[in-house]
Amino acid sequence: MFESHRSLSIYEKLGRVSWVVVALAGVLAGIGVATLYSVAGGSFEPWAQRHALRCLAGFAVLIACALVPVRAWMVGAVPIYLVALALLAAVPLAGSEAMGAKRWLSAGGMSIQPSEFMKVALVLVLARYYAALPPASVSKPVWVLVPLALMAVPVVLTLKQPDLGTAMLFAGLGLGMMFLSGVSGWYFTAGITGVVAVLPRAAAHLHDYQRKRIEIFLDPASDPLGAGYHITQAKIALGAGGLSGQGYLKGTQNQLDFVPEKMTDFIFAMIGEEWGFTGACAVLGVFAALIGVLFGLAFANRQGFGRLVIAGAALSVSIYVVINVGMVTGLVPVVGVPLPLISYGGTAMLGVMVALGLAMSAHVHDGR
Amino acid sequence: MIRWLFGQTGMPPKSTAGRFLGRAGAGPVKPAVSPKALFKRRVSLWTGGTDVPPPARAAGLELRSRGNEDKLAAAAFTRRGLVLSLAHAAAFGALGSRLYQLQVLEAGEIAALALDNRTRIIPVAPMRGRILDAAGNVLAANREVFRILVIPDRGGDLRELRQVLGRLDPIVTLTKAEQDKLVAKARGRARHLPLLIADGVTFEQVAALQLRAQELPGVQAETVWTRTYLAPGEREAQAMAHVVGYVGAVDKWALDDEPMMRLADARIGKTGVEGGMEAELRGAGGQVQIEVDARSRFVRRVAETAPLAGRDVRLSVATSLQVQAMDRLARDGRPGACVVLDCVTGDVAVMASTPSFDNSQLMGPQSRAVWQGLAANLDKPMVNRCIAGQYPPGSTFKMVTALAGLDAGVVTVKEKIECWGDVTYAGHTFRCWNRKGHIASDLHKALRESCDCYFYEVARRVGMDAIAAKARELGLGQTYQAGIAQQKAGLIPTPGWKRNRGKAGWLIGETVMAGIGQGYVLATPLQLAVMTARIATGKAVTPTLVARAEGEPAPAFEPLASSGASLEAVRKAMIAVVNEPGGTGQAADIDDGKTVVAGKTGTSQVSRASADRDRTVVLDIKQRDHALFVAYVPADKPRYAVSVVLEHAGGGGAMAAPLVRDIVKMLLAGETPAAKVGPPAEREPGLKRADAG
Repeated sequence: MFESHRSLSIYEKLGRVSWVVVALAGVLAGIGVATLYSVAGGSFEPWAQRHALRCLAGFAVLIACALVPVRAWMVGAVPIYLVALALLAAVPLAGSEAMGAKRWLSAGGMSIQPSEFMKVALVLVLARYYAALPPASVSKPVWVLVPLALMAVPVVLTLKQPDLGTAMLFAGLGLGMMFLSGVSGWYFTAGITGVVAVLPRAAAHLHDYQRKRIEIFLDPASDPLGAGYHITQAKIALGAGGLSGQGYLKGTQNQLDFVPEKMTDFIFAMIGEEWGFTGACAVLGVFAALIGVLFGLAFANRQGFGRLVIAGAALSVSIYVVINVGMVTGLVPVVGVPLPLISYGGTAMLGVMVALGLAMSAHVHDGR
Repeated sequence: MIRWLFGQTGMPPKSTAGRFLGRAGAGPVKPAVSPKALFKRRVSLWTGGTDVPPPARAAGLELRSRGNEDKLAAAAFTRRGLVLSLAHAAAFGALGSRLYQLQVLEAGEIAALALDNRTRIIPVAPMRGRILDAAGNVLAANREVFRILVIPDRGGDLRELRQVLGRLDPIVTLTKAEQDKLVAKARGRARHLPLLIADGVTFEQVAALQLRAQELPGVQAETVWTRTYLAPGEREAQAMAHVVGYVGAVDKWALDDEPMMRLADARIGKTGVEGGMEAELRGAGGQVQIEVDARSRFVRRVAETAPLAGRDVRLSVATSLQVQAMDRLARDGRPGACVVLDCVTGDVAVMASTPSFDNSQLMGPQSRAVWQGLAANLDKPMVNRCIAGQYPPGSTFKMVTALAGLDAGVVTVKEKIECWGDVTYAGHTFRCWNRKGHIASDLHKALRESCDCYFYEVARRVGMDAIAAKARELGLGQTYQAGIAQQKAGLIPTPGWKRNRGKAGWLIGETVMAGIGQGYVLATPLQLAVMTARIATGKAVTPTLVARAEGEPAPAFEPLASSGASLEAVRKAMIAVVNEPGGTGQAADIDDGKTVVAGKTGTSQVSRASADRDRTVVLDIKQRDHALFVAYVPADKPRYAVSVVLEHAGGGGAMAAPLVRDIVKMLLAGETPAAKVGPPAEREPGLKRADAG
């Protein structure tokens, strides 16, 4: 087949951006702004306005990332990974503490969460690795250990913060990309068996608050006003929504502050209460569409690196959604994971936008 | 299928290092690469370069399709991607079904939880009914009071609370100590609960507060209705305080099913008609259902049930008459009580007890000092002696003994019983008040001259149980549904009563003493008035302090069990007490030439010392006799029954009878037309009542 060696003009690149993906991300960000407006009791202050501005900045970053040649990302993968790793390692030394966990680095009045950048870096470095690794070698034990190590270092660092949710995301992301790269199914079988065997022992090393969260997850009614409060109140909010919801700006449980973290991790409870089962499913549908479109783009991509970057972006979004919604509905322990693009929070938003931008870059520059 | 999804990519196995480096070319890499070159290429690979020679890199060769091998890799990726997509679909499906479970299947029960979560029911106190006197003057009403509160939560942390309290200064000045106290109080409890800063502030203060609301976060004004006692003056207030009573905070034991009684501001009638007519006055509490947020702060009103205002209560007592009676009572300088009953209706016309207090001061800002002063007063001004003062009735009880004896047939009206100054039963000598004795007395003479020996003998003959039964028939030893709280029942002893108290057996001497209203026997002035009214009318008159509604017929009382003849004999003797020579109560005669007063003196011993008639020393005041007198008037057509007690005042005939005379004069004067009573009472402006009229 014929392929042009000429580099694309900026307009051609913009023309090749998958605007479906951008539109779906836009819809989600819009839902985020609308919900944050409602969370504040019908006010753009203090969240909705900033969220909207961050979204706009995020889309600019997305487009900027998309315009960067995918080869540049490939070249930059390893340095980016090392920088992200350094930032992550710096958190325990220089990070600021919030709610019992050190997750943020403050620099010049801005606080960033290095784990969000690590998410992007991990996608890049694993894609870079498997792009370079011959398909026949992916299941060789030594070449399986390398990506495991690349993944394990940030997992351990985030667990130390402690941030179980992000650690789970890194692990899921890494394993997902290994799976997509064709690592033998037996490794996964063995791994799952091993985890099941080791889990009880690992539980002993959990932080008290983590153990408590898990205990409460198993029986939220045991402490309805204490630590089980999050789950119980989120469930009450969802149930209060019913099939069709209480109506926009009318979610009583949320508006009355019963649901904690309702602008960040528990924002889905707000959506579920105000828009009901229909609205909650619609939001899940938009996420599913975004992930599906990204997978479609990945399947269509002709480069190993590009495929994995796109799939990595899809995976990071989907893992966040599954953990977050699972947590709000009481299917998963409360681990502190935002709902991508909807939850209030700058770094998380930027992380998702960069990941989508990388996917777009891979798509735009496919075959070049 | 499994093999297709998870299997190898189908490439023939090759040397890993070779494959790794062989990405540059379209074909397999030549094995002849020096270890040094291999290392270089690897380093360049990991630092971001590719191991493609510069010309190839420039052409982007390494990214271009490389035929079969890449197609196979893409196919493998797609297979794995589809598996992952299916896993996603499953995960999203699980989330969706969980949402379905929570939002559709269990929505009903969860919605109930949600409602519970955010609604609070706040009881709303109804407007308490007013209390009016017989002439319609308002004696107790409700007044709107402003108070200033602060909710620390809205003012941020406690340091801010302190600043806010300081900034209140021109409006409400709090000392440093008061501020510290409030801050300490705020520290000890939930932040959303309001703290009371000042009670009973003026409207001007509230207005000033509203103007400065911006700089006083969390400070708010509130209006509450408080009980207020209105009397035209101090005399009237003192005269009516015992009857009207007062309200106070609800004691734990007094809590009932009414939720509004649990409000901090709830007040319950403690004494007087406030207490006795609590059910009428209180009304029924309403409620407001409010929505609150997670910090229990008010959000909005959801539903409301209006409270039902309490009913007004009109007293049978007229302030004007009561004031006169109080003034006359106070003139003797002794604590005392006077009750006047309408014999026909049972309405209490006068219920005066001295000393008294001003119930409006109990509600005021100096209430604490007032309370302490009243509590320290040894004359117990807070006690309504008419209903809670229990005195040995002394000789006023002799009608009871007489009727018991006559009705039982142990003595006839004609029979004469000897009296030589004392009489001995079971080895104990009982003295008559007259050491010389009455020689021989029939019932008429015995009552007229109050011969003790006669009644000792009658009591001995008839026995304690018959006396007690007669006493109850005449209204002693019991409380009444009179609409007034804190009545005492007095005491009518029986052998059974003594046994139940674990004391030794009943002695004959105790019956003999009870026969003249001494010993264990106790009665309140109200009871003595009831007894007198019953003797006068022959009907079971029951007293009430609440006036009947307009047009409501007077109650028809049951006739007493006593025979008409016995009652008539006793009445005749009571007329003789006041009107015949030798009568002990001649001082009660009003001497107006037409109205005949019937009555009986009583001089009840408080201590043994007073029984010693040969005493030479002046008794301590607390050992002196109580002076009593009961009367009804007019004797031919009884209209009023009067009872009077003057504590430690001496003889009933000397001290109590003149008092009754003056009271009776007042009563008769009050019956003359155009007896305008008191100045018109103030009515609260703007106070509209749902149940007015």
